[in-house]
Amino acid sequence: MNAFEWVNATTVDEAIGQLGAASLLKAGGVDVLDRLKEGLDAPPRLVNIRTVKGLDRIEGDAATGLRIGPLVTLAALDVHPVVRKSFVALADAAGHAATPQIRNMATAGGNLLQRPRCWYFRSRDFHCLKKGGDTCFSQHGENQYHAIFGNEICAIVHPSALGTALVALGGSVELASSRGKRIVLAEQFFLPPAAALERENGLAEDELLTAIVVPPLGASARSAYTKVGEKESFDWPIAEVAAVVERSGANVSRASIVLGAAAPVPHRATAAEKLLAGKPLTRETARAAARAAIEGATPLSENRYKVTLFENVVRRTLLDAGGVR
Amino acid sequence: MSAPVPLTHITRARNGRPAKRRAQFTVNGEPVDVLFAPHKTLLEVLREDLNLTGTKHGCELGECGACAVLVDGEPVLACLVLGLDAEGRDVTTVEGMADGPALHPIQEAFAQYGAAQCGYCTPSFMLTAQVLLEKNPSPSRDEIREALSSSICRCTGYVKIYEAVELAAARMRGEEADILEEAIYGR
Amino acid sequence: MGVSNGTPKDNGANGHGQTTEPVGRHPRGEGERSDSAVVGKPFVKVDSRSKVLGTMKFADDLTLPRMLHAKLLRSTEAHARIVSIDTTRAEALEGVYAVLTGRSMPITYGILPVSQDEHALCVDRVRYIGDPVAAVAAVDEETAEAACRAIDVVYERLTAIDSVKTALETPEPRIHDYGEEGNIHKRVDLEFGNVDEALASSHHVREDLFFYEGNTHLPLEQHASLAEWHPDGKVTLWSSTQTPHYVHRALAKVLELPPSRVRVVAIPNGGGFGGKSDIFNHEIVVAKLAMVTGRPVKICLTREEVFYCHRGRHPVLMRFRTGVDERGRILGMHSQTYIDGGAYGSYGVASTFYTGALQTVTYHVDRYKFDSVRCFTNKPPCGPKRGHGTPQPRFGLEVQIDKIAADLGLDPIEVRKQNLVEPHSMTANWLRVGSMGLGPCIDKVVEGSDWYSKFRKLPYGRGVGLACGSYLSGAGLPIYWNDMPHSGVQIKLDRSGGVAVFCGATDIGQGSDSVLAFIVADVLGIDPVDIRVVCGDTDLTPVDLGSYSSRVTLMMGNAAIEAAERARAPLAEAVSKKLSIPRSRLVFGGNRVFDAENPETGVTFAEAVQFAETSIGTIGSTGSYKPPRAPGRYKGAGVGPSPAYSYSAAVAEVDVDPETGLVAVERIWIAHDIGRSINPTLVMGQVEGSVYMGLGEALMEAMEYRGNRGVVHKFPSMLEYKSPTTMEMCDVVTYLIEDPDPNGPYGAKEVGQGPLLPIMPAVANAVFDAVGVRVDEVPISAEKVLKAILAKAEGKDGRYGPAKTPAVEWHEPHRVPPPWEGGDGRAIDDPKHMPVPLADPSGHRYKHDMSGD
Repeated sequence: MNAFEWVNATTVDEAIGQLGAASLLKAGGVDVLDRLKEGLDAPPRLVNIRTVKGLDRIEGDAATGLRIGPLVTLAALDVHPVVRKSFVALADAAGHAATPQIRNMATAGGNLLQRPRCWYFRSRDFHCLKKGGDTCFSQHGENQYHAIFGNEICAIVHPSALGTALVALGGSVELASSRGKRIVLAEQFFLPPAAALERENGLAEDELLTAIVVPPLGASARSAYTKVGEKESFDWPIAEVAAVVERSGANVSRASIVLGAAAPVPHRATAAEKLLAGKPLTRETARAAARAAIEGATPLSENRYKVTLFENVVRRTLLDAGGVR
Repeated sequence: MSAPVPLTHITRARNGRPAKRRAQFTVNGEPVDVLFAPHKTLLEVLREDLNLTGTKHGCELGECGACAVLVDGEPVLACLVLGLDAEGRDVTTVEGMADGPALHPIQEAFAQYGAAQCGYCTPSFMLTAQVLLEKNPSPSRDEIREALSSSICRCTGYVKIYEAVELAAARMRGEEADILEEAIYGR
Repeated sequence: MGVSNGTPKDNGANGHGQTTEPVGRHPRGEGERSDSAVVGKPFVKVDSRSKVLGTMKFADDLTLPRMLHAKLLRSTEAHARIVSIDTTRAEALEGVYAVLTGRSMPITYGILPVSQDEHALCVDRVRYIGDPVAAVAAVDEETAEAACRAIDVVYERLTAIDSVKTALETPEPRIHDYGEEGNIHKRVDLEFGNVDEALASSHHVREDLFFYEGNTHLPLEQHASLAEWHPDGKVTLWSSTQTPHYVHRALAKVLELPPSRVRVVAIPNGGGFGGKSDIFNHEIVVAKLAMVTGRPVKICLTREEVFYCHRGRHPVLMRFRTGVDERGRILGMHSQTYIDGGAYGSYGVASTFYTGALQTVTYHVDRYKFDSVRCFTNKPPCGPKRGHGTPQPRFGLEVQIDKIAADLGLDPIEVRKQNLVEPHSMTANWLRVGSMGLGPCIDKVVEGSDWYSKFRKLPYGRGVGLACGSYLSGAGLPIYWNDMPHSGVQIKLDRSGGVAVFCGATDIGQGSDSVLAFIVADVLGIDPVDIRVVCGDTDLTPVDLGSYSSRVTLMMGNAAIEAAERARAPLAEAVSKKLSIPRSRLVFGGNRVFDAENPETGVTFAEAVQFAETSIGTIGSTGSYKPPRAPGRYKGAGVGPSPAYSYSAAVAEVDVDPETGLVAVERIWIAHDIGRSINPTLVMGQVEGSVYMGLGEALMEAMEYRGNRGVVHKFPSMLEYKSPTTMEMCDVVTYLIEDPDPNGPYGAKEVGQGPLLPIMPAVANAVFDAVGVRVDEVPISAEKVLKAILAKAEGKDGRYGPAKTPAVEWHEPHRVPPPWEGGDGRAIDDPKHMPVPLADPSGHRYKHDMSGD
C-alpha cells in the first residue's frame, strides 16, 4: 500500500470539498483497501467519508419508496424490515454478497461504485484496456467468469449485486457536487465500455453519491433475486438475476428482468420482458422468457456454460418473483 | 495500555512519507493511544504496535477471514480496516474474550472439542461465534453455518467448531451441557 | 517451542465433565500395559488453552530487538537464463541492509539426496514464475519491497515447458541437467508377475483413463521464518516447518556451517498438510541475511508467494487396465501414471513411486505392473500433500472398480469385499500388511448410510457412492539412508514430580505434542498436566524425522513408550526397596506408585522420583524407534513399506442440479480403522478434517496454469483458489474401528491422511449414481458435470475425462515375482536374486500367508 494522507470528512460539504484527482474516497473501505493493497490505486490522499453524518439511514416504506443512505451497510440492508418485506430483490442481493463480515463493513454506495473483479484488471501484471493499455486480455485468455453480453471491447462483468437489483427495481442514485444535486436512473448511471472505458459509471470526479432512491412498487408487484456461484461464501456470482413481476389480473402487466455478472453493466433482458407482458406467468412462459433472455449472447472461449446457466437462473427467478412453484 | 504519546514525538518518516497519525480507541475495554503511519491497517496496528498477535493474517485481502475482530461489537476483517478508522471505536480481539483467569465458555468449548487444531483461524471463529450467541442464544446448525461462513478453516472441516459453538451456547443459556460422546468417539 | 502450558483445567476436561481423570481406577502393573488412564480418553490438548487465548506464538508472531525484514524478488519468467542482476539501486536505498543474489549461496540442496537441485536464490537460471532470484533485508517490509522493485534483472527467455506432454515432446532445453533424459525426471517400470498373461486369462478387462488436477495445501498460516546469528558462529532459525531435521541438514550444507552450530526450531504450524515439509528458499535466505547483517531477520511470505512455494498435489494422468474374474476378483492390474512434477525434484521421486505403491494394500491384486513417468515443467514444484501421491491412483482405482461392477452387473460393495487384502499378509509388491480393518469399515458406512435403500434407487439428481482407501503409518525408510532411529524421545524426571519430555516432532495442529504427553503420562501414571513437552528444536530435542507420512504417532509414540518405561524402572526399583514390596506388585497410577494388593500402601510419584534420585542420582531416560525392515529387495522397494496401514471407507450422498451441474455433497459417512485411538477427540478431528480437504479436492480445488503470460499460476489468491467454506462443507458421520495393530503404540495407526483418500472417488461414484454421467477427473466441477450431462442428452458418451495419454517409451520392467510366485523380493535381473522354492507352487491367491524374512 502506498503512503497517503488521511482526511476525515464529517459533512457532505466537507467530503465534496475534498474531491479531486488527488483524492480517493473511502466508506466501508472493502474494495478501496483491496485496490490500495494490490497497487491499483495509489492516491496521495484518502478521504474517509464513513464519518459523514446522516448518510447511514434507510427512510421510506413500501408506499413511498426508499431513500437509502450510501453508508448503510449491506448487513443493515439485508435485515431492514421494510426492505426485507417489500423490496425482496434488494434485501437478497445485499444478503448474498460477499461474506457476513464483509457485509458488516461494506456499504451500499461502495457496492455500487466498486471496481470490477476481472482478474486481469485486478492484477498489476496486466496493463489492460481498462487501465489505459491496449489489450483486453480476457478476450483470448481466462474468461470463464467474464461477460456473455456486450463484451466486444472489454469483457468485465459489473460487480455490484445491488446494482443488478436496483436497475430491476427502477431505482436511481442521487449525486451531489458543488454545482448542486442530480438524480440519475441507475440504468443510465452504469456505463458500458463503449461510453466510458476506464470507469463503470457516470459519477463525475467532483461528485459524491449521497443517496440511493427506490421507487415504490405497484401493489401487485413482487421482486426476487437469485445468485449462483461456485461457492456460497467468499465468492462472486457466476450468474445472478433480479426480477420484478407486476400483475394485472391473471396476466403480467410489466416484468423487469436484469442479469448481473453477465455484462459490463447490469443487463436488462428487454426481449424477455416484452415476451411476458400481457401473458400469465406459468412454467411455460417463464421458460420462453428465459430463452429470450439469452438470445444474442456472445460467449467467449470459456464461458459458454454461463449462457445455459443464465437461462435456468432467469426462469427460476421469474417463477420465484411470480410465486409459481 | 500505552501512555499517551506527546505530540512532539510525531516524526516525519524517511522517504518523505506522511507523518504518523495518532489514534485513540479502546481495545478489549482499555483505552489505547497509538501513533502510526496512516496507511497501516487495524490488523497491523494491533499486531505490530499493540503487540496483540492473537489476531492472525492469512491473505490480507479479505479472502480468508482469519483477521476478524469486533469493532463496535460487530465482526469485521481487520485487514480491510485502516487503523485510523478505529478512532473512537471499541475493538475486541481474542485477547479480550477471557474473563480474567476464566476462559469464555466459547473458548472452553473450543478447547474441549479440539476445535482449535492448528489454532490459526480459531480467534476469528470464536469472536464471530460470540456475536452470534449474543444475538441468538439458541442458533440452529444452519444459522451457525451461515454466521461462520466468513472464515476459512483448513484443519477441522468445521464440524468440531459447530459442536463447540453448540456446547458453549447451551452452557451460556445456563444448561448443564457437556461434550457429546458420539462427537468424540464416533458412532 | 511447543512447550506445554496446560493447566489442570485444560487437561481435566473429559467426557464426564470432571476436572481430573480418576486414573487410580485403572491401575496398571509395572511393566505391563492394561487399562489406560489417559490413552483412549478425551483429554484436552496440551496447547489448547494457549490456542483459544490467542497467546500461542506462530512464526510471524515472533520479534527480536533490531530485527530486519526480508523480501524475495521472484522470477517473472517461467523459464529463462539470468543474463544479469543489477542490485545497485536497491543497495542505495535508505533502510536497506543487505541484498543477496544466488552467487552468495552456490551450494545446492533438496529434500531427497537424489534431487539436490535447488539453490536458495537462482544462480543462472529461473525455472518457474515465482522462482526466487534475489533477497533484501531492510528496516521494514515496505523498504524491502521497494528495494526488490529496484533490482534490475535481465532474462534471456527459454522455451517454457507447460505440461507432461510438452515435456516429453521437448527434450531440449532441459530444465535440469540430471534425471532420466530430456525433461523426464524419473521413470519407474516394475512388474510383479506376468500381468499380460493375467489380463489375457481374465473374464473381463477394463481400461480407463483418469486425470487428477494438482491442488495445494492452502494452510491458513503463510510460511514465516526468523533467523538470528550469534557472534560465536552459530545460527538459529525459527520457522513454520514440519521437518526441522531436514531443514537443519540443508542449512548446514548451504551455509557451510558445522551442523552442531545450526539450530532449527520448528514453531507450531498454522496448518501444514505437507506444505511445510520441504526446505524452502526463504528459510535459507533469512539465515544467510542474518549472518551477513549480524541482525535478526524475519520473513513472512505473502499469500501469493505461498502459492509459488506450492509443493502440493501432483497433477497425474492415469491409465489403468484391470482384469477380473466372473466375481470381480482382481487377477491383474497394469497402472500407468504420467506426473507433472513442476520445476524441481522436491519429494518427486518418492511421489512417483507412491502413485503405484499402495494400489495393492486394499484389494488383493494377484499380478501387478506399474509404469510411471515424472516430468519437469516450468511451474512451481509439486511435492507431498496429505495422501502424498496416493489420492490420484486411489481415485482411479475406486472409480474403475465401480465401473467394473456395473459392467458385470455386480454389487460394487460385494466386488470390494471379494477382493479385500487379508490381515497379516503380503502384497504382490512385497508390502507387509498388518491389521486390516477395511471390511468392518465398509460394513459400518453401508449400514450407517442405509446404502441398499439408496444405491440406484434415489430419484434423478440424487445419488450415493462408496469408496475405500489406505495409508501408511509412517514411511518405512528415512529420506536419507541411515540406520539410526526415526524418532527419539528423552525424558527428564526431577524431585518436583514434574516430567519434561523432549522430542524432535513438530506439532502442526494434529496434536503431536499432546500425543507425546498423553503416552508418557499414561505409562508413568501421572496427570498429563504435570508434563512439560519440548518439541521440534534441533539443539534441545532428539531427532524425529518430522511431521510427514503420518509417522509421528506411531514412531514418536513407540519411542515415548520405551523412554517412559525406562524412566519408570529406577523409580520402581527404589520404591520396591523403600517399601519392601516386589517390583511386580507396584502400580503407577493416580500420581502415585503403590502396591497392587494393598493400594493404601504407596508413595506419591514425586516421592518415588526422590527415592530414585537419592539412590542412583539424576533420573533421565531415552527411547527410540526404527521401523521393521521391509521384505522387498527390489529398486523402489523403499517406497510403500510402513509399520502399519490404516484403512478407511466412505459413502457420499450428493445432490446434483442437472441444470447447472452444481454438485452439493449432503453428507459423508466415513469409517476409519485407527487401530487404537490415543485420543479420540483428536482422531475425530483428523477424520473430519480429512473429509473436508478431500471434499475440496473433489469439488473445486485446482492449481491451474493458463493464461496470457506463459506458465503462470491462474491468479494466485484465496479468492480464485476455491476452497470449501462452512456453506460447502457437508455433514460428516464418523465411525472409528479399533483393531489394535501389533506395531502401533497401544495398537495405534495413522489418521491424518488416510480418511482423505476415499472422498474424491466416493463423490465421483455418487455423481454417477445421481445423474448417470462419469466425470473421470478431479475436481468434479459444475462445468464438467454439465458438459457430461449435455453430451449424454445428445446421445454421446456421458463422460468427461481424458481421452489419451502422451507417448512414452517405457523400458523393459524390472520383474519381481510376487511373494506367492517365489523369489526373495528381488528383481530377477538383480544378480543377487534367489528363486525360493514354494511350499505350494500353485501360489494360491487367497493363501499367501507370508511371514516375511
